[in-house]
Amino acid sequence: MQHQGTSLRAYLLTRIALAVPTVLILLTLVFLLMRVAPGNPIQAALGGHVSQAEIAKREADAGYDRPILTQYVDYLGDAVTLNLGTSLTDHRSVTSIITDNGSATLELTFWAFLIAVVVGIAIGLVAGRFRDTWKDTGGRLFGIIIYAFPVFFLGFLAQLVFSTELGWLPSSGRASPIVEFELNKVTHLYLVDSLIAGDWNAFWDCVQHLILPAVTLGLVISGVLIRLVRVNLLQTMKGDYVEAARARGISERRVTIHHAFRNALVPVVTVAGLQFAILLGGAVLTEQTFDWPGIGSELVRYLDNRDYIAVQGIITVFALAVVLISVVIDIVTAFVDPRVRY
Amino acid sequence: MRRLSRLMLAVLAIAVIAVGVAACGSSSSSSSSSTIIRGTTDQPVGLDPAGVYDLPSWDMIVNLYQTVLTIPPGGNKPVPDAAKSCDFTNPTTYVCTIADGLKFSDGSDLTAKDVKFSFDRNIKINAPEGASSNLVGVKSIDSDEAKNTVTFNLKYPQAVFPYIISMQSMAIVPADGPNAFPADKLMPDDQVVGSGQYTLEQYEPGQQAVLKKNPNYGGQYPSKNDQAIIKYYDKDSTLTQAVKNGEVDVGYRSFSPTELQDLRNTDGVNVVGGSGSEIRYLVFNLNLMPGDNDAQKLAIRRAVAYTIDRQAIADNVYNGSVTPLYSQVPQGLEYANEAYKDEYGDSPDTNAAKAELSKAGVQTPVDLEIWYTPTHYGTGTADEFAEIKRQLEDSGLFSVTLKSTEWNQYDEAALTDKYPIFGFGWFPDYPDADDYTTPFWATSSFLNDHYSNPEIDKQVKVEEGTSNTDKRSAAFDQIQNLAAKDAPTIPVWQGGQVAAVQDGVNGVEDTFDAAYLFRLWVISKD
Repeated sequence: MQHQGTSLRAYLLTRIALAVPTVLILLTLVFLLMRVAPGNPIQAALGGHVSQAEIAKREADAGYDRPILTQYVDYLGDAVTLNLGTSLTDHRSVTSIITDNGSATLELTFWAFLIAVVVGIAIGLVAGRFRDTWKDTGGRLFGIIIYAFPVFFLGFLAQLVFSTELGWLPSSGRASPIVEFELNKVTHLYLVDSLIAGDWNAFWDCVQHLILPAVTLGLVISGVLIRLVRVNLLQTMKGDYVEAARARGISERRVTIHHAFRNALVPVVTVAGLQFAILLGGAVLTEQTFDWPGIGSELVRYLDNRDYIAVQGIITVFALAVVLISVVIDIVTAFVDPRVRY
Repeated sequence: MRRLSRLMLAVLAIAVIAVGVAACGSSSSSSSSSTIIRGTTDQPVGLDPAGVYDLPSWDMIVNLYQTVLTIPPGGNKPVPDAAKSCDFTNPTTYVCTIADGLKFSDGSDLTAKDVKFSFDRNIKINAPEGASSNLVGVKSIDSDEAKNTVTFNLKYPQAVFPYIISMQSMAIVPADGPNAFPADKLMPDDQVVGSGQYTLEQYEPGQQAVLKKNPNYGGQYPSKNDQAIIKYYDKDSTLTQAVKNGEVDVGYRSFSPTELQDLRNTDGVNVVGGSGSEIRYLVFNLNLMPGDNDAQKLAIRRAVAYTIDRQAIADNVYNGSVTPLYSQVPQGLEYANEAYKDEYGDSPDTNAAKAELSKAGVQTPVDLEIWYTPTHYGTGTADEFAEIKRQLEDSGLFSVTLKSTEWNQYDEAALTDKYPIFGFGWFPDYPDADDYTTPFWATSSFLNDHYSNPEIDKQVKVEEGTSNTDKRSAAFDQIQNLAAKDAPTIPVWQGGQVAAVQDGVNGVEDTFDAAYLFRLWVISKD
């Protein structure tokens, strides 16, 4: 155990150390791509209305024509000190963008992830338990189809059915305008903030707005987990200890749940954790479909306006979050699976 | 109880609760009768007047601030707003007397010094996205607190100066007091204070803005509602859904032609329209366009002008929500004429087009490369240019290649000699014919199309240098007629303003006019 602890510590230190060049390479790529792409915030705002000479003059005044190396050094310096700057287009501090809009993404991805896990594990378990029956076929088919569905298409369908036709749920946004205005945002997680305020109207309003986007995104992700749980369950069901359990007269149901299922979940933990990291970025399409004011939506808007300060800041935080999550996954895997050695 | 059964029961319970929550809920707007909720896809750049020069920001500023002069609802000429009166005392001196008793929303007085401060800081900050370039003709600004007057000393006569100071980028901000604006930098958007009909209660960029009726408003146009919420949407389709579901009271800017048709067929929703001053036009880069010499290039431009069927574009692409345009100056503005109709008629004349080309020795079909940008001006743009291509090719005189790029590349490329023929749009800075002639047809045109007509430049100087309406009328007539003959641009259509409104919401049409500003204060609810 002491040897495992020492090697895990060394592994983690190595992973954290490797995160530095990883993020550095990513930041450099973002910097270069934003400079190479045509346009800039001034062009985006005034193009088609003033002369190009006037725009060029304003660009020079704003320092956009400084040597690229100077801009790069300043940019890296700011990134290292986590001085994420102020967006060029709407003059918001990037920190507030991360806080306000990042919370929206976190709320969406958390609930989507939860739905993905519940649905994915439940259906995968049933499919694996009742292999080669209609339950298995149905579960696998559902997993393939739901994963193949583009999330924005599924979202549109959900809006049409549940919002436009049935009128059960709102089609977009995070809360009704009045709730949005009156809610005291402490954590910027609206469900939590409404509970803190004891405002049940606001809570139900936020739940209603959350249902369609979270279920849409969660179902699409669950497709991966369904197949993974099923395959791993079938694999563990072949194990000797499972045969031994059967030989001791334990019921098939108990064998599946108590013996095979738990061990089958070990690799699922790893994949599910990675899916969560991917969700942060993959939420962009869902946020766009449902006008969910998350960090993904903001990233698209700032990209459109060539606001490289905001884009760089958001990407930096994304990169750090993904690195952190993958390190956490490795730690959890090491603790959950005693076979894992570093 | 078996664990699997318990798991399934838990999942079932959650599903039942979710459906119950959904079914119990209402997706319609929960606003009171004194709150107006407007949905829009227009995202402001900012809320400090000195830092903006875009329509979405102006649509906020017109509700939060006052300007010295303003274009009133339904009007097209500047009238006093914060000022009691304004006049030229000589061609280069414009004096305004500020109305007494005006206050900012925080209760502090609005006087002449605030006006001077607002203009001075606009010039000093010279924000990259701002409109301070419109003040280059200002030599100095003086204020007299005792008389409560502001004197604008101009470098040269500017007949349009009253229009310039009515622009939303010239709105008045507090010079001192607890909410004074900084003199040398922009105010954070969530801290802005003005003297307009509303105060800014909440601003979440990309999400919503909440405006409350300003109890200290002392102007002539009090609000008909107590509160307004502007909800921002990323896409037309989501805005359309929100209107259909009753989540907003008014949807304005923007909808595709298909979405408008869908909304017209939606129970409880009314599509209302009014005049507008948005235009679309084609531009010829005289250096890059086809033609071996100036005569051939002129013939080609005139032949295109003879061939374009504006009514077909309006009907087939925009379902009648736009009208044919026969001058860069839209109808409804003073001094507008229909020079292109007088010159080329109001329906295609292929024989005349053929004669133009033949006279200049141009071989047909003429290869035309026409550029457009597919989303910046609305999702109907691709269909519009497909229709233009069809019209030109059906005449047998042209062979058209359509090309497109996204806006961020398009606008720079179009203005830096990359595209021989391209489409552009225009929203007014101010509703005067000068804003629709000088930018396009003067030698100093921002279009960089290499068109120059000394007679037009001469007439521009005439109209800019006098307030005499007869002289200006004659000058603008000449400008439009000369430009129509040369056709360096071809105006295509003029857009009216259109909104989708819930039953029981009134007054939206009252804000539709040449100024192209959405004044929330004219709207009321049953």
